[in-house]
This record gives sequence, C-alpha cells and structure tokens, in this order.
Amino acid sequence: MGTFRTSDRLAAEELFHACYPRLAGWVRRLVDDDDTAHEIASEAFTRLLARWSALDNPQSYLYMIATNLIRDHWRKVGRERRALRAMSATIPAEGVYHPAQDVDVRALIQGLPDRLRQPFLLHYYAGFPIRDVAEMLGRPEGTVKADLHHARARLRAVLGEAHG
Amino acid sequence: MDEPRDDIDTWLETRVTPLQPHPGTFEQIRRRARRRKAGRAALTAAGAVVVLAGAIGIPRLVLNGPAGSTPVAGSGTATPAQRSSTGPGKLTGTGSPRPTDRPATPTPTAPPPVPPNFAASSVTFVSTSTGLVIGQAGTPGHCGPPKANDCTSVAATDDGGSTWHGVPAPVTSAPNGGTGVSQVRSLDGVSTWAFGPQLYATHDGGQHWGHIPTHGLRVTGLETVNGIVYAVWARCAGAGADFAAGCTTFSLYSSPAGTDDWSPIAGATGLQASGSAPGSAQLVLTGTTGYLMTPAGQLLSGPVTSPARWRTVTTAAGVPRSLPCAPGAAETGGHPLQAMLASTGPGLVLLCAGQASGSQQAKTLYYSADGGRSWSPAGSAPARGVAMSLSGTPTGPVLVATSGGIDFSTNAPGASGALTWRTARGATAAGGYSYVGMTTSLQGVAVPANVSADAVWFTYDGGAHWRESPVR
Repeated sequence: MGTFRTSDRLAAEELFHACYPRLAGWVRRLVDDDDTAHEIASEAFTRLLARWSALDNPQSYLYMIATNLIRDHWRKVGRERRALRAMSATIPAEGVYHPAQDVDVRALIQGLPDRLRQPFLLHYYAGFPIRDVAEMLGRPEGTVKADLHHARARLRAVLGEAHG
Repeated sequence: MDEPRDDIDTWLETRVTPLQPHPGTFEQIRRRARRRKAGRAALTAAGAVVVLAGAIGIPRLVLNGPAGSTPVAGSGTATPAQRSSTGPGKLTGTGSPRPTDRPATPTPTAPPPVPPNFAASSVTFVSTSTGLVIGQAGTPGHCGPPKANDCTSVAATDDGGSTWHGVPAPVTSAPNGGTGVSQVRSLDGVSTWAFGPQLYATHDGGQHWGHIPTHGLRVTGLETVNGIVYAVWARCAGAGADFAAGCTTFSLYSSPAGTDDWSPIAGATGLQASGSAPGSAQLVLTGTTGYLMTPAGQLLSGPVTSPARWRTVTTAAGVPRSLPCAPGAAETGGHPLQAMLASTGPGLVLLCAGQASGSQQAKTLYYSADGGRSWSPAGSAPARGVAMSLSGTPTGPVLVATSGGIDFSTNAPGASGALTWRTARGATAAGGYSYVGMTTSLQGVAVPANVSADAVWFTYDGGAHWRESPVR
C-alpha cells in the first residue's frame, strides 16, 4: 500500500485532473489567450498545493485564487496598454478589445470594482452558491446578495448606455 | 428593443470550454509548490532544521459515489493470521477490537488473496489508484464461524483495479431483511463503512470492524465528506435481499468520521412519502452542501462542514420546491429507482425514470444550477435499458447505468440545452450495471447488476470505453 505521502500526491493529482480543465477554461474566457489561462490556472494550483494541507472546499479556493490572479493580470495588462498608448499615437484609446460580444461583456466585468467583481464571477460565472461565496469572501450572505445586486445593476446601466 | 441584461446573461450562460493541461503540467506544479513550501518553511523555521514532507496534503474532491482521497491504509497489512481459517476474508474477532489480534510488528508478507467465488455488490474509490469492493465470497452455508452464512468479504486494489487482494471484512451475511451488509463507502481508506441494512465501521483501515446499533432501523444510504459521515436510516419491512423494500420513514443521521457517535440531523428526520406509502430517499454530498431527496419528492439541504439543521429547498418565493419526480421504490441496494440525483459540475442533475416497457424506459433529465431551487429540462437519455444508477462528473457530463449497459453524455447540462448521449463501449456485463460512479472526470467504476459477477468495470476516458477487472 502507498504511504501517506503517496496518498496525498494521488489526491493532489486526482484534484488536478478533475478541476484543471474547467478552471483553465473558466480563466480563458476572462483573458486574451490560452497561454495566459494556463499560467493562471497553474499558478492557482501551485498556491493551493503549497499552502494548504486541509481545506473544506478546494474548488472554491482555486476559483478564489484564480479570480485574484485574473484581477492582477488585468491590472498588469492595463498598465502595459496605457504605457503603450502614451508612446504611440497610432493606437486608439478605445477598441483595445476584440469586437466579439463575449469580450465586450468581459470588459464591463473588468471595470467593476473588486468588491463587486469577485462575488459576481464566483456566483454567476463559476456557479458557487451565495452561501459559499460569502464564506470565501468572509462577508455575510446578505452583503454578498447586495453586492451581486449592485454588480448587475451597474452592468445593466453601462450596457444600457452602450445600447443607447 | 435591446435588453441590456440579455448580453450579460448570454455571456454567463455560455458554457465554459475545458482547457486541457499540457503534458507534464501537474509534475511542474507539484515541483513548484514543493519549492515554495520549502522556502516558506525555511523562513519560518528561523534557522531550525526543518524536514519537509515531499508531498502536500490536499483536501479531497467530493464526487458522487466513490469518495475519499487517500489510500486504504493498513488494508495491505492484513495477515492470514488475522483471518478466519475458513471464512472468505474476515476478522475472527470483529466487533470488539482486540489488541492481541494485531501483530506487534507488521509481517512483510504478500497481501492475502481475494477469497474464492467473490461476487461484488458495491465499490468505493478513495483515489484513482486505491479502492475497496465489498461482496460475498465462499459458499453460503459454509462460511464463518461464527455463522455459516457470514460470507461478506472485502477486496482492495492499490493499482486502479489491475490487481486485487483480500482485506478483513465485517462478520455478517449478505442482506437478509434487517441483517447483513451490501454497500461500502470510505472517507480516506482508514475510516470505512459497510452498510445496507446493518452498519459497520472500521477506523483502522479494515483491521477491526465494529457494529453500529441502529435500533431496528436499516441503513439505506451513506456518504462521507469533510470528516463527517452521513447515513439514511429507515424503517423498512422488506425481507430477504430486498432489505430496502417497504420503507416508510426515513431519517438522516451523522457522525464525526472517527468516533461512531451518531445522532439525527435536525430538520431531516421522520421523512415519509405521501400517504405514508413505501418509498426511498437518496443522499448526495458536495464539498460544502449535502442534499437529501426525500420520499415525498422534495429536497432537503444543509451544510456538510459543520453540524447544522437541514432545510427544505424552496423556490425564490419561499415555497417548498417539489422535484420533477419522486424517488419511488428502492432497488435492491437501497437506491431509488424512479428518481436519481447526482451532483455534476457546479450543479445537480436529476433523472426521472418512466414506467419500464420490456427493456425500454423513458429517462428524462433535469438540471439545477442553484442548489435545487429551480430545475430545467436537460433532455432524455437513451430509452434502452432500465435505469439503475446516475453519476455526474466534476466537469459536468453525466452517466447512466442501466440494465442494458452504460450511457454517457458528451456535454454537460446547463444553458447549452439537452444532453447528447452515446452508448459506452465495452460495458458488456450481462444484465447491465447496478452502479456507476466517477472518481474523476475521466476515471470511473461500475458494478454489474448480476450479483454473482466476480468483476467490476473501469473507464479511463470519461465513460466512453469500459474494461472488466476481475476481482480475484
């Protein structure tokens, strides 16, 4: 029989095979390319394996880490794009994203404040129940519900303006 | 006129396309995690000598059916001296652990063989490699002591079903009214439960099994997660192998996994079908939430991370949500036959089985992405065969075991509409399968419906192809 060490490795591998493809696919819809999605998903798993020896819901934790990594990635890309625009007048201030509707919505979500974006992605997009999201973010369920409401209202308002 | 919310809804409802990892990604991640953990430990140890474990403890991913994540510790250390001389793989002193039964020093002998004539009735996997199967072996009437019909046996694998060896088993018989066991579930390979209808537990990897008194109630379902075990205790009248027949009242009990300290779950006791008719119930656990499909066709849910009251799942308006179908009567192993519940991806899937006509049966599926508060049609599974078991996967596709074989969906339920189905290849057990469960999105196991079959079946590609693994 395997030792405890071997068993944990098997458990980690099992978790990886079960969760990685969906997590990476989830990230992919929020970033521009496959490589970045793989980088973020791999980093989320690395942090999970490096820091936790007991966790009730590893999937929640993975998505939470990934959400934060995506936020960091957006900030980094935003800084790079702003720097690029400052250097080159040929690059338009708008239209950074592809015209597909998927990306338009993503850009709107990207524009949400952290406090609203995190529960929005975890609940509406990743599918975690409000109770889980509240636990993950350390907020009361009522607060999460209110945050979700405000996030949707803000997105609707922006979309409404965009649609004239 | 454009509705702004449509764009957001469309975006949210577009199904995520899984992105497969590049070869070697897991090893790369593991090495990177180990380096970071080592670096952090070195910092926090402030110069102390620190010996780091080479692997990192990872919480278990909760799946439907097979559960757990760590090997059956100790199952391979069973020695022939611990087994009855004529019995098919059981302890001589089960029920009252005797220190003297345990060798002072493990004997470095080969694992004991699987007893002859082993016939599987239930299986549980605690990782992709390690699992347990429970069944009957030997010749009824010639097992024991103490009783000639105590032929219950357990076999284990630590190589994904390539080879099997014997493991000590609870001393009892096949289900016979209120006695015997037929099902097995394991939390971590150390704490394992045999049940249906009686309840036995081991907390040392099978070296010793203890009988848990259930006060005349029969255990018709059991699942475990997060160091807690949950079981459905029912008042039943079924005789012989049909121990889960004629069950009229159901209650959910739980215990910390290591203590055998069972108590009822508030809000989930005394459950009955409409008109107190015989029925069944089904328990499904995820990493955070447990669900109990009640005999009346409603859903109870509660947290599985701490003891708390379970509540009826309601609609947004606060009205108890009736499921699209009620569970009806139970099959021999205790699972409902008319409604089957499973967790899949981020949601729940429900199969409503129609009246069987020969070897054909309508099987309608529903999907809930909000914990059972609302259900959407997800199409129909193939009519061939009578549905016996339903399994979800972490990534969403669904499998159905039937009397005719195994069918699997090529997509996940959700906004994409109806499931599309294919029939698995190689799932050729005569009489079909009584159970199917996925250990990961790719690997799963199925138990043949034929109670005398000496094999279980494995898939390693998400259910498309199955391979027989003789338990011998």
